[in-house]
Amino acid sequence: MKKMMKRKITTSIITLSLSTAVLMTNVVNAQGNSRDTISAVGSSTVYPFSTVVAERFGKSTDFKTPKIESTGTGGGMKLFCASNAINTPDLSNASRRMKKSEFDMCVKNGVKSITEVLIGYDGIVLANSNTTSQMNISRKELFLALAKEVPAKDGSPRLITNPYKLWSDINPTLPATKIEVLGPPPTSGTRDAFAELVLEGGCKSFDWIKAIKKQNKAKYKEICHSVREDHTYIEAGENDNLIVQKLSANPKAFGVFGFSFLDQNSDTLQGSVIDGQAPSFETIADGSYAVSRPLYFYVKNAHVGKVPGILEFLTEYTSEAAMGEEGYLTDKGLIPLGEDKLSNIRKNVLSLTPLVLNK
Amino acid sequence: MNSSLLFIVLLCLTLFSYWFGIKRSLKVAGGAEYKKSLISLPEQFGLLTAMVCGLPALITLLIFNSTEQLVIEQLLTNTLPIKIQQLSSIDLGLYLNNIRSIASTETSQTLLQNISSQTLEQTSNASLITQYQGALTLQTLNQQASWLKTALVLIIAVVSVIILVRKFSPTFKARQKAEAIIWGLLVSSSAIAILTTVGIIVSVLFESIHFFKSVSPAEFMFGTQWSPQTAMRVDQVGGSGSFGAVPLFAGTMLITFIAMLLAVPVGLMIAIYLSQYADARLRRFAKPMLEVLAGIPTVVYGFFAALTVAPVIRNLGESFGLSVASESALAAGLVMGTMIIPFVSSLSEDAISAVPNSLKEASLGMGSTRSETVINVLLPAALPGIVGAILLAISRAIGETMIVVMAAGMAANLTANPLDSVTTVTVQIVTLLTGDQEFDSPKTLAAFALGLMLFITTLGLNILALKVVRKYREQYD
Amino acid sequence: MTNAIQQTRKNAKDNLDMNNSKPSKLLSTTEIVALSLKKRHKKEKRFKNLGLLAVLFGFMLVLVLISDITIKALPAFGQHWVQLDIDYKSDWLNIEETSPETLLAEQLKTANFRKVLRNSIYQMFSSTADKKLSRSEKRELTKLFSTNAEFTIKDALIESPVLLNKQANIWVRLDDDVDSYLKEGFSDGEAGLRLSEQQAGWLAKLNAEKRLENRFNLSFFTASDSREPELAGIKGALVGTLLTMLVTLLLSFPLGVAGALYLEEFAPNNRWTDLIEININNLAAVPSIVFGLLGLAVIINLFELPRSAPLVGGIVLTLMTLPTIIIASRAAIKAVPPSLREAALGLGASKMQVTFSHVLPQAMPGIITGAIIGIAQALGETAPLLMIGMVAFIVDVPTSIVDSATVLPVQIFLWADSPERAFLAKTSAAILVLLALLLVINISATVLRSKFESK
Repeated sequence: MKKMMKRKITTSIITLSLSTAVLMTNVVNAQGNSRDTISAVGSSTVYPFSTVVAERFGKSTDFKTPKIESTGTGGGMKLFCASNAINTPDLSNASRRMKKSEFDMCVKNGVKSITEVLIGYDGIVLANSNTTSQMNISRKELFLALAKEVPAKDGSPRLITNPYKLWSDINPTLPATKIEVLGPPPTSGTRDAFAELVLEGGCKSFDWIKAIKKQNKAKYKEICHSVREDHTYIEAGENDNLIVQKLSANPKAFGVFGFSFLDQNSDTLQGSVIDGQAPSFETIADGSYAVSRPLYFYVKNAHVGKVPGILEFLTEYTSEAAMGEEGYLTDKGLIPLGEDKLSNIRKNVLSLTPLVLNK
Repeated sequence: MNSSLLFIVLLCLTLFSYWFGIKRSLKVAGGAEYKKSLISLPEQFGLLTAMVCGLPALITLLIFNSTEQLVIEQLLTNTLPIKIQQLSSIDLGLYLNNIRSIASTETSQTLLQNISSQTLEQTSNASLITQYQGALTLQTLNQQASWLKTALVLIIAVVSVIILVRKFSPTFKARQKAEAIIWGLLVSSSAIAILTTVGIIVSVLFESIHFFKSVSPAEFMFGTQWSPQTAMRVDQVGGSGSFGAVPLFAGTMLITFIAMLLAVPVGLMIAIYLSQYADARLRRFAKPMLEVLAGIPTVVYGFFAALTVAPVIRNLGESFGLSVASESALAAGLVMGTMIIPFVSSLSEDAISAVPNSLKEASLGMGSTRSETVINVLLPAALPGIVGAILLAISRAIGETMIVVMAAGMAANLTANPLDSVTTVTVQIVTLLTGDQEFDSPKTLAAFALGLMLFITTLGLNILALKVVRKYREQYD
Repeated sequence: MTNAIQQTRKNAKDNLDMNNSKPSKLLSTTEIVALSLKKRHKKEKRFKNLGLLAVLFGFMLVLVLISDITIKALPAFGQHWVQLDIDYKSDWLNIEETSPETLLAEQLKTANFRKVLRNSIYQMFSSTADKKLSRSEKRELTKLFSTNAEFTIKDALIESPVLLNKQANIWVRLDDDVDSYLKEGFSDGEAGLRLSEQQAGWLAKLNAEKRLENRFNLSFFTASDSREPELAGIKGALVGTLLTMLVTLLLSFPLGVAGALYLEEFAPNNRWTDLIEININNLAAVPSIVFGLLGLAVIINLFELPRSAPLVGGIVLTLMTLPTIIIASRAAIKAVPPSLREAALGLGASKMQVTFSHVLPQAMPGIITGAIIGIAQALGETAPLLMIGMVAFIVDVPTSIVDSATVLPVQIFLWADSPERAFLAKTSAAILVLLALLLVINISATVLRSKFESK
């Protein structure tokens, strides 16, 4: 290439780069307008449902598709309750009801008007790969397997560090494999629900521990909810899909997650029988499978009208097509509410009735 | 006019000033024939004029843009009723946001109409009226700001040019002045690189110090229990919050060791073969092969490790009766080694080629075979370079994230068994920071402390590598 | 070498002592060496073969990697469609057929196409059976078809409203489970993967009626991310990558070249310059995740720029690429022969003129190559972008650099976690696209370099 051409090209490249670089800085200052995409954070269990509704909403209306992030119920609540400012999330998905302490934090930070939307029910399952045998276990035994401290083996009312290494150590009928459970971290609502329904359920079957509840609630909670930290219970993050994959690769391990994940992967996984009940659509719906909990999401009323489409999104979510008995959320593994309950909730939600939490 | 249009106008003005400067300088010289009487070239006069036109105006534009919103917001707030002004900053922010969206969607005529119709109807819509009025004010303010900006920028541009051009004379040192400005621009560009390092160090250090207030450095560096998942709320029971990072360091070391075990021999042998034995044809194919290995994104390696290598190792191990974790350190280590092979190979090849040919020829001339030359002459001579290469490769392996996030586990196991699952420093950083990000819980800050460790370690290894190469490098000529 | 000679000497001596009793002359060094030659040549050959093995091992690794991913990716490029008889009954649609044109169009937008789809399907399959389908059978049946099917038939009706209250043959997508089943090659009616025997039977029936077709999956390139594997595409991620790369290139190229010029040509040789040099060399080796930490702490927290925007991603990647570009540019500038500089200076040019008019154009090929390689590296980066929040589920294609977006490597990372078989294929296909992109960029760099150098 001739010298002149080279020089011309060089100069033009230089000028071009300089000018566009400066243009960039202009754009930076151009933003700061109001947001036009709904943003949601929170539970990884509710994530599959919210994303499906979001996608349909984006396809069938002119609004932008809502942006959904999976941070865990606890993490989501923190972001949601940070303030009413426009750069905080509009919706918070939760796989358990909002706690009073979270509600107080919200109110303290100015988020006073929140609408609660009950979506449906979900069971928590203890699943493993269906290439091995199905586990038949009780909540008491699960507590003994996973708690940090367990009652002494001789039955005296004292606690010892959890000594059980194999499932068969607890109950000879259980398999003689290493206890290995992949479960959610404390940011997850599933963890809270699991602690309350399974661990506490098994814990209070010991009468002397149950008696402590009346005297010292905090200590009772500590005993019943503390999970062991010696690599038998492995906190596997907010990505339940990952747990599903790991279970397929490792048939000896068990996973704790919502029923919808078991349902969607029923060809490779199976749910353990807990207290005599196997998890299925029917047993969760009629309540015979004890480990089930409701799913929610919460709306920041202050953002309705400021971010376009929130009310319409709520309409789509609570519609018959979505949350109804034959709705598309049911196809994804959600246990639906009954007809009456649904219409009641729809009425409350679309009128943005604010939540009042007293306990 | 808006910023982009203004910018383009400015650009045109600058180009015009270039031409103008040239013309003016020629005029000052007394006509085109007297070009030689100028100290600097006319083009340089032109360049100076262009820069003087463009730069001050540009800086003004940038400053104006960054402060425009704040000033307008303040002015707008001052026109609102006292009650609104006294709202908390967040409520006020929401209110202003509301006004902004009204202002951007309705035209001023519609607003005026709405206001007059509302006043006629009801005074109960007072807040709505205030909002409409606010929107109107905002629109006016925006317009005024736009005019001010345009005027200011253009005036500064033109005035600067005029002031400059007056100074033109045959002895005016246009070139020196232009070059001084360019020099300034170059210096500030290199300053950005420093700012980055400063930024990294400051931000990571700042948060780490915050962390070490709640967790003692001794516990962090020497503790063997890693359970960072503390409770989220007051009434929740979470992990015990122990932040002993030794299992993480051990895990990182294990995987790095496995990776080096694969990469160093293979990389070194490839380097030796390609530099000493290979013919041109093989080299033509081998070079791209190495470049492909080096260019594959780490997320692809991670996918390969998690979905192909790990199950293969698992099945192999099971058939031998060993208990292999599904996320063995072996899988992650082997794939990481693959990624590092081109690194080791190219750096070693550089080191070996740097040894003067005279040594190699002398050895061959004395009758040694090529392998003997390599082993006894070239490698010892190139040893500092090779050691440097290995150290740099180790540093790369330690800092690698995606392969371990996808293929290694999350359990902070303190073990030396490559068939177990371990976790590394980088995996924990990612786990701790995706999701809940409250910047005053030890959990989130622990990620920054880990980042600090990583930064210091890789920095140390790089400096060591440099020192080794410099100190032990033989000077042959 | 000395060992071999000593050994040979010893062997020779022992041999002599053992075999001959009469005194023998000592072997000369040449003869000793000649004896040891065979062994040494063997060693040489072994060594050479070891080296060749290593090179071949490298080739094998590349081959295994690429072929593994290609094999996994192939299913993603095809998608099975099925032809359905759709009955656009107006009472199913829940609209008034006697409404005027404009009102009809509005009503069609919100009509119940789900019901139309379901009932049409039930009609198709229960016509053969005497009894009506049970509830679970209905569920199994509708699971065969993609959730997008109702939107496909909706679009079909809106396009030709004359179809109202008539029957039409519409092609819709099959669900990803069915698609994977068909690609697996089971025999007719055999249950497999996630399909029950009854579902397999229905499929066989559809196949017998020639209603199934395997088409090229164009939607992989034209659609954005989706929760349904059969609908997921990489368009959003590609556009996001493009925008992010644009920001990175436009920010890092001028800054990098300017910095390199300064350091190489103008900086005085003092401690500060040394410090800057060490600084830049270290930055080039800092793990990418630390840049993510920086981006999180400073750019998002301090400057409050929007999360997940290509702008922030671009800034973080610029900081990462800058050292690479500076180092490559410095090397290119250093390679310019001093004779060029001295000649120009000798003719009276100033330092600045020498740099910009002579050195820079001469070094430009090397600089551009370095920049392209730096951008290619940044293209494949994932870790720092994870930290700044580009991990959300984002469906809309970004239109500006401040919209929420994701990039191709992050999309691959997110999809890699999904257990559906179809997502496995899609992830591999996305990896192939990424590798192809990188290949194109690297080849263009090489071509550019050779073009500049030959002229």
